[in-house]
Amino acid sequence: MYRIRFHGRGGQGVKTASRILGRAFFKEGYDVQDAPRYGAERRGAPIFAYVRASRTPIHERGIIQRPDCIVVVDDTLMPVPAAAILQGCEQKTLVLIISDLPAEKWTHRLQIQGKVLCLPKSVAGKGSPLLWGMACVGAVTRLLGVLSREALTDALRQELVTLDSAAAEQSSSTALQYFDKMAATQIVIQESSPAAATTYTSPRWLDMPMEIGPQTAPAIYAGATSEKLATGLWRTQRPIIDYTVCNRCWWLCSTFCPEGAIHVDSEGFPQIDYTHCKGCLVCLVQCPTHAIQALPEQEASRLSGEEK
Amino acid sequence: MQRELLTGNGAAAWGARLARIEYLPAFPITPQTEIIETLSQWIDSGEMDCRMVTMDSEHSMITAAGAAAVTGVRACTATSSQGLLHGMEMLYTVAGWRAPFVLINVSRGLAAPITLEPDHNDILSARDSSCIQLHCSTCQEVVDHMLIAFRLAESEEVRLPVIVNLDGFYLSFTREVVQLPDPQAADAFLPPYPSSSSLRFRAHEPVSAGVAVLGGSTYSYFRYQAHLASLQALPRYEKICLDFANIFGREYGPLEEYRNEDAQYVFVMIGSYATKAKQAVDSLREAGWKIGLVRPRMLRPYPEAPLCAALQGKKGVAVIDQNISMGKGGILYTELKSALYGHPGAPLLASFIGGLGGRDIKEEEFFEMATVLKQASATATPPPPRLLYTEEEMREMRALQTIAGAIPTVQGESR
Amino acid sequence: MTNTTAFKSKRDLPQKHILGTGTPMCPGCGGLAALHEIYDIMGDKTVFVNAAGCMTLLSVYPFTPFRGAWLYTAMASAPAGAQGVRDALDILKAKRTIKPDDDLEVIVLTGDGSAYGMGISATSGAIDRDLNFIYLCYDNEGYGNTGHQYSAATPHGVKTATSKGSRGYPGYKKDLFSIWAAHKPTYVATIIAAEPLDLAQKIAKASSLNGPRLLLALAPCPTGWSFDPSLSIEIGKKAVQTGVWPLKEYVDGEVVHTKIPKNRLPVEEYLKLQGRYDHLFHPQRDKKTLQEIQDRIDAYWHKVEYN
Repeated sequence: MYRIRFHGRGGQGVKTASRILGRAFFKEGYDVQDAPRYGAERRGAPIFAYVRASRTPIHERGIIQRPDCIVVVDDTLMPVPAAAILQGCEQKTLVLIISDLPAEKWTHRLQIQGKVLCLPKSVAGKGSPLLWGMACVGAVTRLLGVLSREALTDALRQELVTLDSAAAEQSSSTALQYFDKMAATQIVIQESSPAAATTYTSPRWLDMPMEIGPQTAPAIYAGATSEKLATGLWRTQRPIIDYTVCNRCWWLCSTFCPEGAIHVDSEGFPQIDYTHCKGCLVCLVQCPTHAIQALPEQEASRLSGEEK
Repeated sequence: MQRELLTGNGAAAWGARLARIEYLPAFPITPQTEIIETLSQWIDSGEMDCRMVTMDSEHSMITAAGAAAVTGVRACTATSSQGLLHGMEMLYTVAGWRAPFVLINVSRGLAAPITLEPDHNDILSARDSSCIQLHCSTCQEVVDHMLIAFRLAESEEVRLPVIVNLDGFYLSFTREVVQLPDPQAADAFLPPYPSSSSLRFRAHEPVSAGVAVLGGSTYSYFRYQAHLASLQALPRYEKICLDFANIFGREYGPLEEYRNEDAQYVFVMIGSYATKAKQAVDSLREAGWKIGLVRPRMLRPYPEAPLCAALQGKKGVAVIDQNISMGKGGILYTELKSALYGHPGAPLLASFIGGLGGRDIKEEEFFEMATVLKQASATATPPPPRLLYTEEEMREMRALQTIAGAIPTVQGESR
Repeated sequence: MTNTTAFKSKRDLPQKHILGTGTPMCPGCGGLAALHEIYDIMGDKTVFVNAAGCMTLLSVYPFTPFRGAWLYTAMASAPAGAQGVRDALDILKAKRTIKPDDDLEVIVLTGDGSAYGMGISATSGAIDRDLNFIYLCYDNEGYGNTGHQYSAATPHGVKTATSKGSRGYPGYKKDLFSIWAAHKPTYVATIIAAEPLDLAQKIAKASSLNGPRLLLALAPCPTGWSFDPSLSIEIGKKAVQTGVWPLKEYVDGEVVHTKIPKNRLPVEEYLKLQGRYDHLFHPQRDKKTLQEIQDRIDAYWHKVEYN
């Protein structure tokens, strides 16, 4: 059975990509299961999706624990623990990442056991992030080695019907372009058999102790614990204040920020809390002096020297 | 017959469409909503001749469905979790009217704490409502059981609401390969809503439905009639499944038995997680085990005789409950135990509770359950009930409780 | 009506934002924008009693943005939850089990799905009983948390997940303000995050009063209304400037408009920013529906201006 897991953010075509792959397998007569999995169903929040395909009936269900291929549509998610991208990654697993960094860098940085293959971000040109998902699905379809270009073409046509014709055409051609590009690589995604009952690791169940006390009810006994959640990771565009242009009106961006992520310092200058700013850019639109500009997140982090 | 890729919600919507439902009172709730959205689009585009009304609550929605059914149209509705509970008063009421309609329930755990992911406490809370319960484990079963459910509900000897149950996420949002019944064949299988029956409000034909009773003996009569009708739904379901198999070639029945014939050990569970058990059965068989799966599709009426027959002479049975009755334990376990009581040759039963609120049950946990079952059977000592919950989960829980300020900071851990 | 609150100008608006960051609300959420402006004024001596909706996900174990209290109830019964909390606090105060300073303002927090529909019976009952509470509805004009199906708050002609046909939603938005006002409660007001001064004055006024005080906040929803999150506040401003969202209050039996748009913009200026109205402009203009929407707004303001 083939087990492929896609990771990305809401709005990057992760669900669509998984459905296209599922549909391509379906066209080739496989038994198929595909499903998206949301955390918070919000634009920018990490999500994943999975595809199983087999020549025999599929009984497995739910989250893929041991993927044959991990597809990462957005490399900013790579180091995010909550995204759990490398969970179940083994030596035979292929990790396909849309990233401008070389594969060795990811292998080294995150000590990835499997093979890593990077597709440059420019794949999608200047188009929408939806195209990253399309590039991935095109590449994966080819790397499986068992799916035809025709099956992919058909799947694209069927799964993209809700898009307008221009967007569908752009998506399709991106996917097919990456299908064709992968012809040059020697990598083939290997299917694997289910876990054997002879050599399993015991699940280490525990006898749940009876407890008495406040912890036994679903209640939180602390204030503003949500601040521990770095929703800044949702951001794809970063608002940056040009303090030479800011006229310290202070109340506009700070009051309108839906997150309450803009504070005013003692001199009256607004300061953006990038740990929590989700990048909605309300501040940019509302700033009367146009002192706020947006940069793509990766570029911004490179400029500010956050990239290690 | 057309081969398609459909989610469980898509399959349920297709089933309703093929059943030519005429009326759809609706109310959104995750993870069911996609069903009513899909149907609303077909209605808007003219592909379906059906009236849809978004009601103000599930209480209203179930009332409207039952009322339409006793007025004489084929009604369908769908809900999940809190919605089923909010409509619970009316579920009992419309079943008491003997209103035949189909309710799709997409299983989801119950509040509090409120959650979105599946378990079966929602549907099992409707256990005693007189509604028939059919539990699906694949998208194929969902579409097929929509047709079967209407036949069953509308049978003169049954005349009760039928609930078709599917799990949230694991079926509702999961696409699988489905053989879509051909519309003409569906029409041949499921005739139009019985217009000749007593189910109608018309001028010049006095009918007062759902009337009150005073006095326990009148009450007892009506209540027991509903019980007898429910019992009758078992043979009726078997017969409808035969008809279905003749037309569509897919065989169903109150139980699915998987590699059970020569099995010494058996998993018993319902719903979509049961396909995981099938995978585990295959792996265990490969490792030399004689093990199988018995999965009740029909839970009300309770398929007591078929279950006893299927488990007769087995060494041990692991009942995996994706539900919990506080102060008692697993509901399927409790019911199976009562069914087997006094049967000579009844197997040893072991109770496992797992998959609450969508918690995964991993392959190795099925293997471990089999091992526990075998050891217990060897010593003829039933093991204590077991919650599937690992040491690692407990560690993670402690970390959450620390953030919640519910327990002091765990020593040596920094977050 | 003269403003007697501490908020005379925008300069008086709170400088510190106390609602915790890190919530799972969508980027650009107009409801969250309103809530954080309100929370800055109400403060943490509050208990939010919540009904099922998007904001139920504000508090997901073990994370909450609130510095005060929170109780999730169910979709239909938040005002009844408020009743229980208020009554209990009053009992404890009467028995001097708690100090007056330990008291909390009880605030129901619901979306339009609950406020306009399933929860309206419990709300009506709470007003009948003269419950001393604040009711805050963030109105995003649809069942947002389930993917934006139409609700009783959905305006005419809008495309939602259950009204995808070429004419959109055939019904009309329910006038919840008037339904509430008909109960003759202490205070009713409409607010919007895009008008923070008006909002602050109303919150301050509501806080200074006792009895049932109901607030209806229009909550532009990037996800459900289909617009870029950065336009969330802009769309809110347009809602006011076009007269779609009248800012008003009911107090002492009178309805007073707190901000009458002088040169009302054509409603199209508001509609065309939102994907949910796209079908009124493309592939061709639906002149009839656009005119009907404009006429209804004009008729409303005609009554306001000439009464």
